[in-house]
Amino acid sequence: MNYLSWLDYGFMKNAIIAILIITPLFGIIGTMIVNKKMAFFSDALGHSALTGIAVGVVCGIKDTTISMLIFAIVFALLLNKISKKSTASKDTIISVFSSCSVAIGLAILSKGGNFSEYSSLLVGDVLSITRKEIVYLVMIFVATIIFWIFAFNQLNAVAIHKTLAKSKNMKVEILENLFAVFVALIVTVSIKWVGILIINALLILPAASSRNLAENVREYHLFAVIISVFSGVLGLWVSYYTNVATGPMIVIIASVIYFATYFVGGRE
Amino acid sequence: MKKKYLSLFLILLCTFVFSVVLTVLYVNSTTQVKHNNKKTIVASFYPIYIAALNITDGVDVELKNLSEPKTGCLHDYQLTTADMKLISKSDIFIVNGGGIEGFLSNVVKEYPKVEIIDSTKGLNLIKEGDDKNAHAWMSVKKYRQQVKEIANQLCKLDPDNASKYKKNLKIYDKKLEKLQNREAKIQQQIATNSRNIIIFHEAFAYVADDLDLDVKYVLDLDEERQVSAGEVADVLGSIKKDNVSYILAEKLYAKDMGDTVEKESNVKVIYIDPLNRGEYDKDSYIKGMNKNLDKLQKVYTSSN
Repeated sequence: MNYLSWLDYGFMKNAIIAILIITPLFGIIGTMIVNKKMAFFSDALGHSALTGIAVGVVCGIKDTTISMLIFAIVFALLLNKISKKSTASKDTIISVFSSCSVAIGLAILSKGGNFSEYSSLLVGDVLSITRKEIVYLVMIFVATIIFWIFAFNQLNAVAIHKTLAKSKNMKVEILENLFAVFVALIVTVSIKWVGILIINALLILPAASSRNLAENVREYHLFAVIISVFSGVLGLWVSYYTNVATGPMIVIIASVIYFATYFVGGRE
Repeated sequence: MKKKYLSLFLILLCTFVFSVVLTVLYVNSTTQVKHNNKKTIVASFYPIYIAALNITDGVDVELKNLSEPKTGCLHDYQLTTADMKLISKSDIFIVNGGGIEGFLSNVVKEYPKVEIIDSTKGLNLIKEGDDKNAHAWMSVKKYRQQVKEIANQLCKLDPDNASKYKKNLKIYDKKLEKLQNREAKIQQQIATNSRNIIIFHEAFAYVADDLDLDVKYVLDLDEERQVSAGEVADVLGSIKKDNVSYILAEKLYAKDMGDTVEKESNVKVIYIDPLNRGEYDKDSYIKGMNKNLDKLQKVYTSSN
């Protein structure tokens, strides 16, 4: 058995390219999600992908990635807006939105009893990564890095103390909306191969592990990116030879790393 | 601060070594030595595999089946990475055709070197609206043609073994002919007033076709799906309106529905096997079909 033969196949090449592009983004964006305590928010965004596809199917859009993207962005902005205005707490609002959109998605997709056609969305399918998906990924990668370079300091300030940031004339609302849109974009383009059920773990776990070890923001980012890329590549490799779905395998490895860092970091 | 980097490095190293060792152990425990310079033939799913098993009996080729889908027929089946590997290493890929292998176009694109045998090529498939009903193996007559097509194409693609394929075809076709004769006899025994029927699986349209039964309503309970109350009402309506006395269904998916319908009306549900999974034995198609015919014969002859 040759343990390098996995790169001989076209679909595996696509998969590894996708993983090398997307996992650093998961690491970077994840740090802020963990800082801002938005884990539930990104989870809800993942669930909205189901509705995005359903809307695409109803409107007859062939490329469901586009309808998913549009829906996820609208969903994220709406969620931000309503959670600011409402008197109920944020997690309640998110839960309402999330369950509502999942229900709509399930209702539309299960019409005619054909939900099994979409069940691969739940656990992800690594074969769904095509050239087109990689083009999307590259675009989002570039956009996210640019956004991060220009907006990170301000975002961090908002995360630490919103009122203080406002008093320094930062455009808090625009920043938060932009951040939500980026989370939506990243979640949506990777959901087809990672799977709705576990996409959030990929955003949270590397950053959470990194937080156990890191002492400053630079380390926090660096560790998160390293852990994320490492689990992504190793997970793909293991899943290929053991014949299990790729997304779950990546998450298992990332979880193992999280627990290890928890014990190492917790001791000191 | 250096200690942090070291501990992260150690954690990653341990995880890496651990995963690699486990994977290598797993792979070593599951892979067998591959024989070379034999033709490798892959069948897309169960009935095709059984047909190929008969045709390649005693021939020096390697015959494999794609990993079994858990949901019966192949509609919406997603190829796993193992399936892709298997197909990429094969010389010939035998499919049922008629659109049941939704992944086929991807395979053709990705592996142009693999020869594909479409077993329902040239067959008159039953139409369901715009779609074709591809479960042709459920008709003995059509299955015989599929087997012939597979054998003929194999002879073309692997001429060295052509004589063996032909011999095997003759043997298997004789068995199938007997089966078809039995089916024809049962068909004559069915009274004309009990020919109206409802089916709970698209595949049984072919059984009905062979037995000259008139399908009044199709409720496709092939995969795990939710039946709406409206559909149940439609079935019951059709039973009354068309004077249907029998329903053909698959036990695995349609038992609950069958029980409900039997309670609500006088209809009797006959549970037969769509033969899309089962034992990997040369005669399992014939055995399965005979069992189906046993059940049908019992019901239709006792009512006379």
